[in-house]
Amino acid sequence: MGKLNYLTKEGFRNLRVNKLMSFASVTVLFSCLMLIGIAFMLLVNIDAFISNIESENVIMAYVNDNASSVEVKKVGLDLEKLPDVSQVELVGKDEAYKDILSDMDENLKIYLEGLDENPLPDAYKVTVGNMENFDSVVEKIKTVPNIFRVRENSSLAKQLANTRDSVTYISIGIIALLLLVSLFIISNTIKVTMFTRRLEISIMKSVGATNSFIRWPFMVEGMVIGVIAGVLATVAVWLVSEFALSSLTSSLSIVGASVEVNFIDYALWLALAFVGIGVFTGVFGSATSMRKYLKERKFVELED
Amino acid sequence: MIEFNNVSKKYDGASTYALKDVNITINKGEFVFVVGASGAGKSTFLKLMMREEVASSGSIVINGVNLNTIKNRDIPEFRRSLGIVFQDFRLIPNMTVYDNVAFAMRVIGTAEKKIRRRVPYVLSLMGLSDKGKNYPAELSGGEQQRVALARALVNNAEIIIADEPTGNVDPQMSYEIVDMLMRLNEAGTTVIMVTHEQSLVKCFNKRVITIKKGVVESDENAQIGESATAHLNAASEIANEYVVPPDEDYSAYVSRSEAPAEDADSEEAPKGGES
Repeated sequence: MGKLNYLTKEGFRNLRVNKLMSFASVTVLFSCLMLIGIAFMLLVNIDAFISNIESENVIMAYVNDNASSVEVKKVGLDLEKLPDVSQVELVGKDEAYKDILSDMDENLKIYLEGLDENPLPDAYKVTVGNMENFDSVVEKIKTVPNIFRVRENSSLAKQLANTRDSVTYISIGIIALLLLVSLFIISNTIKVTMFTRRLEISIMKSVGATNSFIRWPFMVEGMVIGVIAGVLATVAVWLVSEFALSSLTSSLSIVGASVEVNFIDYALWLALAFVGIGVFTGVFGSATSMRKYLKERKFVELED
Repeated sequence: MIEFNNVSKKYDGASTYALKDVNITINKGEFVFVVGASGAGKSTFLKLMMREEVASSGSIVINGVNLNTIKNRDIPEFRRSLGIVFQDFRLIPNMTVYDNVAFAMRVIGTAEKKIRRRVPYVLSLMGLSDKGKNYPAELSGGEQQRVALARALVNNAEIIIADEPTGNVDPQMSYEIVDMLMRLNEAGTTVIMVTHEQSLVKCFNKRVITIKKGVVESDENAQIGESATAHLNAASEIANEYVVPPDEDYSAYVSRSEAPAEDADSEEAPKGGES
């Protein structure tokens, strides 16, 4: 217990002694984590936005006008059985007619009201579960008996699926790259710290300190840098996303798609991930740079 | 006990041997000088002993530990039986003398309670009781080397390995440091001191191993009849040879070395006047 205490204290001493370097690494790591966080929040928001549009992007399947009510029901059941269909909703002709009338201009209504019969067919609103399979779903719907027309917008659906894919890949790429940079930063800091303390390390080795004993303070140092940067980054991403959302929702509402992705829903996960990344890069970064250092650095550098 | 059996060492990429067919046995409690010019192989000899390098051939056994077969994780434990003193002292500048010595105990996980008992005792052995709160830069070269020696001793090393301990101090301090090592040796510690100062070695009647171009050129045991007299002669020889600064309490120093009081007086008076 006393040992652990001493080692931990040493780690904090490292930080104090190398104030400037510690500050620099916290700052750079913080920036990296913040960028990771922003990339992540962007990914989440774009994903939500696309899902929102997708949910609007339904296939309308119109039923033959002369189909009986039993046949209409049968069509609904057939549609539900199709793979990749997540939702099937009947839009009855009367209902649709009422909708159209209520949306219409008074003058235009007169023409429709002049008709003695409802001209609209029964229809099914089919929502596709997986946008990748949109086309095949459409093809299958066309084969269902008593369907006389299918209205869809497959190009939009495809575009959305593509966009989502590329957004995901790019985000993952950026996040991975930034993670690597963070790792590099921390291990570099540790290397510099180790260089400035090579005298102490050489003495430690010469008096028989174990490698783990030599390593521990540096790990603590890396961990502390990671935790501080992680907490700061969480707060920063929160502020950024709040600000961005408030200014974005107003402009997005014009498009008609209001997206509500609250930072709070992700705050805990993001904070945990950040601190986790910080601790991981701290421990891993110091471990790798130490291993090299401990192996190469001899404690006696004598001129023969 | 230190045993080198037909030890040769050739560094990777080197064309010649740094050490060739070295056979040395150093018994527990011995005091040995290892002498040689620069590049003779002294450092290699030390590095092999500290298991920082591994012999290319032959075997090295120290205190029953075979350095050819020792596992990496057992090396720290092995090194705790050695006390190493470097030419450049290797004291940590931003730590006090006390902390420098305590550091050696802390980094091997010794309890603070034990450290508080042990460090003052070792400092007093080295005559540094009142320097505990000083920083290394505030001490003279000789004092700094004594701190380094205290650090080497604090973990109860069985073997003290001193690498050119007198290289960075003035001649009078050199004598003082060797004398300090002698006294440790008298208390039962094996001492191996590497140096290139032939003149210093001659002042002391101890075993001398001379290394030249990687080969042990000579291994001369102490002259038979080693006694306080021999030691004394050495002391006065040194005193004649080197100027003693007036503020150094040399008489007290010599009396510790069992020198007659009048001897010290006669030496000090004129020397003090000169400088």
